[in-house]
Amino acid sequence: MSQQVVAQENILELRDVTVSFGMNRGVSKVLDDVSIDIHRGEILGVVGESGSGKSMLASAILDAVVDPGTVDGEISYRTDSGETVDILNLEEEELRQLRWEEIAMVFQGAMSFFNPTMKIRGHFLETLKAHDQDVEDGMEHARELLTDLHLEPDRIFDTFPHELSGGMKQRALIALSLILEPNVLVMDEPTAALDLLMQRSILTLLDDLQEKYDLTIVFITHDLPLVKDLCDRIAVMYAFDVMEVFPAGDLSNSTHPYTRSLLNAVPNLTTSLDELRSIEGSAPDPVDIPSGCSYHPRCPLSTPECEQEDPALEEIGPDQEVACWHHEKVDEELPLALETSDGVSAEVYEGNQSDEPVVSMDDVEVHFESDDGGFLSLFDDPEVVRAVDGVDLEIYENDVVAIVGESGCGKTTFGKTAVGLQEPTGGSVQYRGQDIWETKAGRGNGDRSYAEIRRALQIIHQDPGSSLNPNRKISATLQVPMKSWQSDLDVEDRKARLLAMLESAGMSPPEDYADRYPHQLSGGEKQRVALIRALLMNPDLILADEAVSALDVSMRVDMMDLMLTLQDLFDTSYLFISHNLTNARYLAGRAGGRIAVMYLGEIIEIGPAEEIVQNPQHPYTQALHWSTTDLDSTDETESPISDIDVPDPIDPPSGCRFHPRCPEAREVCASEKPSLESETDHCTACFREYPEDHPYWDSEPLDQETVGVTVEGESS
Amino acid sequence: MNGRWLLKRIGMSLLVVWTTITLTFALIRLMPGSPISRMRAELYQQYGATMSQEQIDRQVRLYLNVQPDQPLWQQYFNYMFDTFQGDLGHSYIQGVEVTVILADVLPWTVFLLSIAIMFQYTIGILLGASMAYAEGTRFDFASTSVSTFLVSVPFYVFAFLLIFFFVFQWNLFPQGGKYATGLEAGSLAFYRSVLYHATLPIVSLIVTGFGGIALSMRANSIQTLGSDYIRGARLRGLSNFRISYRYVARNAILPLYTGLLIQIGFLFGGAVILEQIFSYRGIGYVLLDATLFRDYPLMMGTFLVITIAVVIGVFVADLTYGKLDPRIQTGDNS
Repeated sequence: MSQQVVAQENILELRDVTVSFGMNRGVSKVLDDVSIDIHRGEILGVVGESGSGKSMLASAILDAVVDPGTVDGEISYRTDSGETVDILNLEEEELRQLRWEEIAMVFQGAMSFFNPTMKIRGHFLETLKAHDQDVEDGMEHARELLTDLHLEPDRIFDTFPHELSGGMKQRALIALSLILEPNVLVMDEPTAALDLLMQRSILTLLDDLQEKYDLTIVFITHDLPLVKDLCDRIAVMYAFDVMEVFPAGDLSNSTHPYTRSLLNAVPNLTTSLDELRSIEGSAPDPVDIPSGCSYHPRCPLSTPECEQEDPALEEIGPDQEVACWHHEKVDEELPLALETSDGVSAEVYEGNQSDEPVVSMDDVEVHFESDDGGFLSLFDDPEVVRAVDGVDLEIYENDVVAIVGESGCGKTTFGKTAVGLQEPTGGSVQYRGQDIWETKAGRGNGDRSYAEIRRALQIIHQDPGSSLNPNRKISATLQVPMKSWQSDLDVEDRKARLLAMLESAGMSPPEDYADRYPHQLSGGEKQRVALIRALLMNPDLILADEAVSALDVSMRVDMMDLMLTLQDLFDTSYLFISHNLTNARYLAGRAGGRIAVMYLGEIIEIGPAEEIVQNPQHPYTQALHWSTTDLDSTDETESPISDIDVPDPIDPPSGCRFHPRCPEAREVCASEKPSLESETDHCTACFREYPEDHPYWDSEPLDQETVGVTVEGESS
Repeated sequence: MNGRWLLKRIGMSLLVVWTTITLTFALIRLMPGSPISRMRAELYQQYGATMSQEQIDRQVRLYLNVQPDQPLWQQYFNYMFDTFQGDLGHSYIQGVEVTVILADVLPWTVFLLSIAIMFQYTIGILLGASMAYAEGTRFDFASTSVSTFLVSVPFYVFAFLLIFFFVFQWNLFPQGGKYATGLEAGSLAFYRSVLYHATLPIVSLIVTGFGGIALSMRANSIQTLGSDYIRGARLRGLSNFRISYRYVARNAILPLYTGLLIQIGFLFGGAVILEQIFSYRGIGYVLLDATLFRDYPLMMGTFLVITIAVVIGVFVADLTYGKLDPRIQTGDNS
């Protein structure tokens, strides 16, 4: 952080910048008269929901808006020597030199930024050559950058892009953007596609880089809490314009109703679960922006004045500007939810789980052979990926179990195994005491048919867009489960039933929605339809695989609320898979459910939701917790893991699988494996939970270089 | 290159070749009115008075590489054994060994096809790429129309047109043959004559072939031009030449590579008609002749050669694809 920058010189000044696209429906303004200053040496966070125009802002700064978009207004850049450059009026060659040498950019989705047929080294080399730089010095600099970003330069240089994991690719891209030592780095959602732990690790590294190379960073994101610690100032965008700018240190500095509502809509780890409210309505169409303040149709404070006149940004404090007529009333009318809770004693919801498990899994293993094993494959052993490796779990009626873990930890495979979609290679999966796969093979000992079990276990997928048949109307899609399972219902009954369901899911008028095709629905609405479809089967357990991850931030709480309401109505259980601890906490917490943390195919900690969130025991859970910043934490904590990248699941580490990344690891961790046993309902697979006489406590700490110090509040 | 993968791939190729030989064998031995009974009947008719049944059988065996008096499995075994030793039997029209005939005609077909494919792809790729760069202009529109038209014209129709105008109307090119008679093989005049005779068949393949390649190259390039890494490369200030060569062309060509292989098999099939039209004695010409005269040993031999050519083509492509597109694993990293 660099608040100590004394000279508040502006490195970039944007004045009335407008980006417009001519469309059939009229001129679409995707950036509407934006004026903002960017100080030298600061990190400016630009926050907004999808479709708020924040990516356009990034493109405009480099005058790189794609055709046929046009940029108007003025963008001036001040060089080190004090000259002012008018970016929008540069000659092509001058612009070519400005880009990357002065202002570089990191795109969203590093996956597609690299040429798939060229090694990483080639990307660095050609950039240096294109800008007539000394190649040897430049490559030396590249090595340093890659090392700073915890990558091994020699290994990275010799790989093709597809051989790197998402996190590595993103870091390589950051190094590539800094290769010509630019002054300004514009980053457009650089971490959105990554796991939370990786996101946080990258942000920490970015903070170091910014200091080391004296950068000005414009960090564009949809996730305000994520960048709060990193940024110096935060600009909030809504409907293609900046609504307010405020110092990032304290979120209660925010004074725009939209910012407040947005913050109150996002689940976090401390706010009381009752305080979360989603924002009514939806963001406006770029062709048809409401007159006056563009936020007034959704704003609880709006008055006739707001409808008529658009407020301009007005300065209300140091580094603070807001465009709202009523910003003085905000503290009173829209208090920040996180201020009202004390952050520790969150209320515990009572679930009404049954005593008998619906689904119980005993020592379940799913191993995949990575080779297709065709002709002549008998020569050597194929590589085995242990997606799930010895997991026990029981899910009760009316239960919510949230599985949390990084991508590739086996949580989806585990979920599919739980609902009988993936056959385990070891162990058993039982539905009400009857083995699912035995029943399918016709050897079952229970009296239920396989079809009955199949009906009782349903799934909602991550991407609502591809889980609904695009050629069928919603009503047709929703009638299928009723036709197959409730053949006594006639057409009218089915219609009435599905309309009632749509209505209860908040999609009114239901007749209108029933008659639509999937592409006529928003992402959130599609996901609701998928949920209704699953519920119409009257299932005992629904696997919700990242069911809210694809939705806009402000829609997620809504969707989870609906899931909980319908749980009461239908007596169903959820197995909720998420890479995000906050969503898991919200859904599991409100139903008195449990959170299970998975790492490389194993559950390493499981317990009541609030227990896991407030009192994580396993170092990995603590790392996940750290990755989901506490909104009101003031102490600067650094990464509690020693190695940023996840080990290869084909060859998992010996002993405790987390030991190569664990800051607490001792020698015994590399050879012995802790088990997941405990007298209480909060179990942790870590030697640190073992009594004092366990060899761990006498073992030597493993000699590892750690990324940072351990998270605070951890005592042995 | 991973040895296990290579073994597996060679195994698969051999499997295909073996299947083809088996099918050819089944064809000759099991079809009604097979060459065996036909030849037997012929021999019996001609020499019935002078030759014994045994002699006739021996004659059949010599020609067809099968022994009619042996049980089926043994015949099959012998035939496989001979084939893998390179003995494909005798052509019973020409009385020459099939391998000798094939060695004589195969190079001519390969010569025709490889030049045609080379030109088809060069023209197609260059034209397709320029169409993509000029997307939406009149040049793009005109080229797209012409390419679409040419790709829908069958090459033999075009070949007839060429013969009609260039041979009969204007008398610019010879109507058939591989080279003028009376020239010393290896002399400059000989090579010029070879090229002169091959021009029309090659042109008919190129003109009707490049359109499809240009159209897919155009589509691939447009897709590549819209990708993020092109945008990134522009922002990084790379030169237009480098972007078009190292970024656009490199990635847009990849899907065409697979098409190239299918093309090889397709062109061998097409050679049958093409060589007939231009009286060009290559493998296709021989195949058609063999079919017309029921010269089954020669037919089987040509089938086998065409199969092996396609199998080798696919094999080579599989080996090299990994070099072209690093995302495709050909066992490079074990």
